[in-house]
Amino acid sequence: MFFSVAKRLFSYLLWAAFSLVAAAGVNATVCPDGDALALSWLDKMSKSIRQTNYHGVVMLQRDGDMQVMQVSHRVSNGHSSERLAELTGGGAQVQRSGHPVDCIHPGDRLLRGEALLPEDTCGIATHYRLAVTSGERVAGREVVRIMVNPRDIYRFGYVVDLDEETGILLKAQTIGHGRKILETMQFAHIVYSDELPEFSQSDAVHRAQHVACDAQSAPAQHRITRAWSIGWLPRGFTATDPSTAPSDRRTYTDGFAVFSVFLENLNVAVLAGEGLVKQGGTTSYTRGMRIDEQAVLVTVIGEVPVNTARMVADSLDWLQ
Amino acid sequence: MGESLSALMDDEANELEVERVLAQISQDPELRRSWTRYNVAQQAMQGGQTACLDWDISERVKSSLQAASAAESESADVNFRQRMLRPFVSFAVAASVAATVVIGGQQLALIGSEGSHRSGVSVATNVSPVGMLNSLGATTVQASYGLQAVPVLEPATSRAYQELALQRQRKYMQEHAEQAALNTPQGLIPFARIPQLQE
Repeated sequence: MFFSVAKRLFSYLLWAAFSLVAAAGVNATVCPDGDALALSWLDKMSKSIRQTNYHGVVMLQRDGDMQVMQVSHRVSNGHSSERLAELTGGGAQVQRSGHPVDCIHPGDRLLRGEALLPEDTCGIATHYRLAVTSGERVAGREVVRIMVNPRDIYRFGYVVDLDEETGILLKAQTIGHGRKILETMQFAHIVYSDELPEFSQSDAVHRAQHVACDAQSAPAQHRITRAWSIGWLPRGFTATDPSTAPSDRRTYTDGFAVFSVFLENLNVAVLAGEGLVKQGGTTSYTRGMRIDEQAVLVTVIGEVPVNTARMVADSLDWLQ
Repeated sequence: MGESLSALMDDEANELEVERVLAQISQDPELRRSWTRYNVAQQAMQGGQTACLDWDISERVKSSLQAASAAESESADVNFRQRMLRPFVSFAVAASVAATVVIGGQQLALIGSEGSHRSGVSVATNVSPVGMLNSLGATTVQASYGLQAVPVLEPATSRAYQELALQRQRKYMQEHAEQAALNTPQGLIPFARIPQLQE
């Protein structure tokens, strides 16, 4: 027992030493001591979810409702293919194949300690207070628990349990105001193997897009022709798509949270107003307003508090 | 009948009128076509995309009415229960009718046209006249709001916006999930949050 604890402590210390070196590479600023170990685990989590072969059963609990799904992820020849099949509800499936493992999107870059914004002096720890503790077993695996507490009111908190051996995210709880658990994602069963499990037949298989990594990608079809911008973003959020071409949608991430802003021109005059739909940790906020004589409908959807969505919608403006 | 249909779309019809109009719509193909024409405006507003909005509103209103009357008829103490239920029945009908207001883009124009003086709320520039002020006070608030007339149609508008928010959630959730799946450490799990996955 003593040796097992000592072994775990030693492996944490090794990670801490490694991550201090890594963190020094990110920025010369001295970051809080406890963060280095947590940052190294987040780095490992981000890499393992994209590079490991696994399959299993995942439960997603929101608002007293539970969904169960089968997932798989496999890497071959530098490309990943993954699949999700609902085992409850409509039984829909999602597939993504041919995603290059070395194509790293902004969310992962933030989790891997890259300072994408000048004010992110301590990477993701600039916006979240991180602490590593021990957690209870998940899906029969030993875990490392990371408490991810927001440093401001514009994002939710998280409790994440990572597989102690592989770093895969086995359980994630989204924590809202008053420490309320808004959503729980949890593996019930996980197998690390190259072999793909059998998936049930489904009539509804959605093929997930692969958003290109480079800025040269052709912009998606859009109806908004006038350039627009968001005047206020919570600190630490960066655009997921480097393209600056006019678009109906913009998406931003801080590594943990993602929200998208959708803009529609209205060809009728509307009363200003707002509507809100909340489901688990997902907020969908729609606002009708007028910007520079043009009636518009702005919708902010994402895993952020209502207040954040509302302030982002408030700050939308045309670029002159 | 056309007037009744219009009143229904304007949220001005009373419950009896709603039942009568819906009964007629279900039997009269011409009226059904008129009902559809009201919804074409939405198509224009959407730039031709109506895939997420093709649910049958008249059926929805009707079933909410039927559910309400079934609840009433089950009651043993009819008088007492009727008194208790009436506000809820009205609300259910009104909420359903509010949905129709949003669905027809033209009706959205009616409730919100600049020429309309039925409401005291001006079309705001980057400020919202209703609810949810943020606790930091970092958002500008329309200072003159308190001096203006009480917004007569404000509750109907907020119901309409509620329905609009639900529609937009259904419409955009998948596109958001595509991005979230690539930028959060949960693999394809963000797709499981979509109410109804489209191929």
